[in-house]
Amino acid sequence: MKDKLNNVLDWLKEKKVDYADARFVRIESEAIRVTDGIVDTLTKDVNVGVGIRVLHDGAWGFAAVASVKEADIKKTANKALQTARASATTVKEKAKLAEVKAYKDHYKSPCEKDPFSIPVDDKVGLLMELSDRLRSDSKIKTAEASADFYKTNKVFCSTEGAAIEQDIIESGAGYTATSYDGKEVQKRSYPNSHRGDFATRGYEFIEEMKLLDNVDRTREEAIQLLTADDCPDAETDIIICGSQMALQVHESCGHPSELDRVLGTEISLAGGSFMQIDGLNKLKYGSDIVNIFADATIPGALGSFGYDDEGVKAQRAPIIQNGLHVGYLTSRETAPIIGQTSNGTMRADGWNRLPLIRMTNINLEPGEWKLEDLIADTRDGIFFDMNKVWSIDDKRLNFQFGVECAWEIKSGKLGRMLKNPLYTGMTPKFWNSCDAICNRNYWHIWGVPNCGKGEPMQTARVAHGAAPARFRKVKVGVSK
Amino acid sequence: MIGKDKLFELFEKVAKSSKADETEIVYIGSNFGLTRFANSIIHQNVNEANCKILIRTILGKKIGVASTNSLSYADLKATLSNSIEIAKYQKDNKHFPGLPGPEKYAEINTYFENTALYSPKDRARQVKKIFIRANKRKFLTAGAFATGDGEIAVFNTKGVRCYQTVTNASVNIIAMSGTSSGYSVGLSRKVEDIDAVVLADIAVEKAYLGKKPKPLEAGDYEVILEPAAVAALIEWVNYIGFGSKAYIDKTSFLSDNIGKKVMADSVTMYDDGLDQAAISMPFDFEGVPKKKVYFIEKGIGKGVVFDRITGNREGVPSTGHGLTASDHGQGAIPLNIFIETGNKSLAEMIASVKRGVLVTRFHYINGFIDTPKLVLTGMTRDGTYLIEDGQIKHGVKNLRFTDSMLRAFSTVKGISPERQLIPSWWDSVGCIAAPAFHLGAFKFTGTTDF
Repeated sequence: MKDKLNNVLDWLKEKKVDYADARFVRIESEAIRVTDGIVDTLTKDVNVGVGIRVLHDGAWGFAAVASVKEADIKKTANKALQTARASATTVKEKAKLAEVKAYKDHYKSPCEKDPFSIPVDDKVGLLMELSDRLRSDSKIKTAEASADFYKTNKVFCSTEGAAIEQDIIESGAGYTATSYDGKEVQKRSYPNSHRGDFATRGYEFIEEMKLLDNVDRTREEAIQLLTADDCPDAETDIIICGSQMALQVHESCGHPSELDRVLGTEISLAGGSFMQIDGLNKLKYGSDIVNIFADATIPGALGSFGYDDEGVKAQRAPIIQNGLHVGYLTSRETAPIIGQTSNGTMRADGWNRLPLIRMTNINLEPGEWKLEDLIADTRDGIFFDMNKVWSIDDKRLNFQFGVECAWEIKSGKLGRMLKNPLYTGMTPKFWNSCDAICNRNYWHIWGVPNCGKGEPMQTARVAHGAAPARFRKVKVGVSK
Repeated sequence: MIGKDKLFELFEKVAKSSKADETEIVYIGSNFGLTRFANSIIHQNVNEANCKILIRTILGKKIGVASTNSLSYADLKATLSNSIEIAKYQKDNKHFPGLPGPEKYAEINTYFENTALYSPKDRARQVKKIFIRANKRKFLTAGAFATGDGEIAVFNTKGVRCYQTVTNASVNIIAMSGTSSGYSVGLSRKVEDIDAVVLADIAVEKAYLGKKPKPLEAGDYEVILEPAAVAALIEWVNYIGFGSKAYIDKTSFLSDNIGKKVMADSVTMYDDGLDQAAISMPFDFEGVPKKKVYFIEKGIGKGVVFDRITGNREGVPSTGHGLTASDHGQGAIPLNIFIETGNKSLAEMIASVKRGVLVTRFHYINGFIDTPKLVLTGMTRDGTYLIEDGQIKHGVKNLRFTDSMLRAFSTVKGISPERQLIPSWWDSVGCIAAPAFHLGAFKFTGTTDF
């Protein structure tokens, strides 16, 4: 494959392009969903093709084809070149790329048990048992359990001489019980909502999830929610669980720190960012204990890889240090604008898409608290657990999140369960109200398999390390 | 384009070798181009030639699904084998009624050559017109202009042979001043219907009108929602309310409300895949003809859409809204929603408001707060204005809303006589034909800084 890609890149060099790269990607995926004891999805997909990106006269063109035939690849390269020429008619300032070492390497993600070698019967059997146990009470209207597996082989070559192959395996699973009593509908999930938890690991990750150990509690909490009291409207202290903190980091730090978004190139879909360049090293994003890093080097995390889709090696880079905004997620084109080199976050969701700046593992570093001590230290408040609703404005300032379930905290103890809990705030004010983060024992990297960005839409798999954290005087319960 | 004859010849050959009781092959192929712009330059410009072939095989009541994007006979045979292997591992799906047989399908034209032949150069020419219009006010623009063609074929061993060629064209434009932005959007199967100049002018005027926005306190307001704002709300109402899975799971507001009053008398919403005013299609991905389905008629809850499995589960026939076999776990979903028009123009609506808010569009709506009550939250963006004494006074900073759409759409004071086609956010094949709405009450629950 490398020879085929290099041949077409040589042809593009003859056409005097500024730069070009070619990516072959083969993704094999398996999806299993069991709903109420019926396997309503059991699919395998194989998706193969080549995408070619050309920079010519300082403007970009990209074309992709579902073929590995050399003639098709060359035709596609020509299409990319013609497209770059069309783009060039609007150029004001030619795009320039930060220098990068032209790596020649083969990266493989860690995997003990290839999920595609596990018998389908075993995987279906586990999900069936989970679904059966979830719906063992008549108040559970729907019991869903799912698992997803991806095996990606990609080859990246560039006109600068890079030749990188990567083999990446990703696995994930989870379940949700939906309860109904004729009036009310509630949901409870494990280990996380929205298809569970994911990692760049093999089937051993699924085995370590303790799926069966938590199924009875999940079912019972879904039923309890039907009769729980509504979350009150108030301004109060809140403790947010790790998986919800992961989404908080995702929406209010991960996305606004994408430098392409800051520069306006995502305006047409998901908007811009309040983390503007003139605030770099000046904006007090959060309190002094808030430290957020992008880190694509953590073995097994869903946002980890060897090289991004520009051939830049995976890195760890600070975004927020002691509450100060100190960095962005960058690409080869955007990094020079702030006088830096790329920190390696350009990724495409397949051969048929252009790489964009995507989150890697954007992690809130752990603090020093034990969760029980943090609850004991909170006089009045609410503990928020597991995401249900997310929404944030197009500069990532005003957010509103809802979770599946909450518990009142009274005099340092967890009290009654609360349903339909929401909290809302403005990003910097909220993060500046963070006064406690739990320690590494409570810290987990949550895989987020469905991060959307770009036109045409791309779905990236990213991750966030987080532990439960406390925020003071937050507006809660703004529901109806 | 591969063509009907070649595709069905190939699928006959593959299906002949199948050892399954029944075999279905669905082909979706496309050539797609999208020119994306920001800061008034083209910064992303992409083309894709791709396809998906899904093979569904049936062993008794066991279903296997495998897919590939290769049309080679060897790869199709391997995909068929995978599908049969998966079916063997399956448990019986007691709700599966078997594959459908052939039916009569409407003949509609969904393919227009000018759109299919539209090149990156053609798109660049249109995009430059947008830049020029915006530059007259020294505004910058962002957006995307997309064109493409494709073919869809549904084949099964019960005799279904559906085939349709399609084209699509769409544009979205955001014009930006230093303190405000404006938005416009266009969608059609024919690229000639997209007038980049007219749409650019709309976005620019909206940004101009909203310059130096003032803050507005959150609260319950009378609102006028333009078509893009209405479509964004109804897209979520559709996602959580009009599909068969939500209905069966009791998470839909319609689950316990069929035959009951749910919105104002003037509200009627339905799906009609055969109406060529929208992104029409004569059949679904199971080869079932599209049927017109009412969700809300004169304010009364009427029904939801079904595919073969969920319809059989509920004892009703498929309405022709089946998704591809890999998505059957999601149930059936409507893709061509129409909202019935009224007789009050946008100007009349504005003139009748003493104090209220005009909303161009919404951002990042989420509808999982309380789905049976249709509670949605989201932000306004790209043109929000205060109306006082029947006139637009000034732009206002964006607002967060959190409200039940059952409540909001029970307070309808007027609906515009024309409607606009708005593309679906999460699916390039879906659209909503929406008029503007004047609502008596809409709850804004928060504000932001811009």
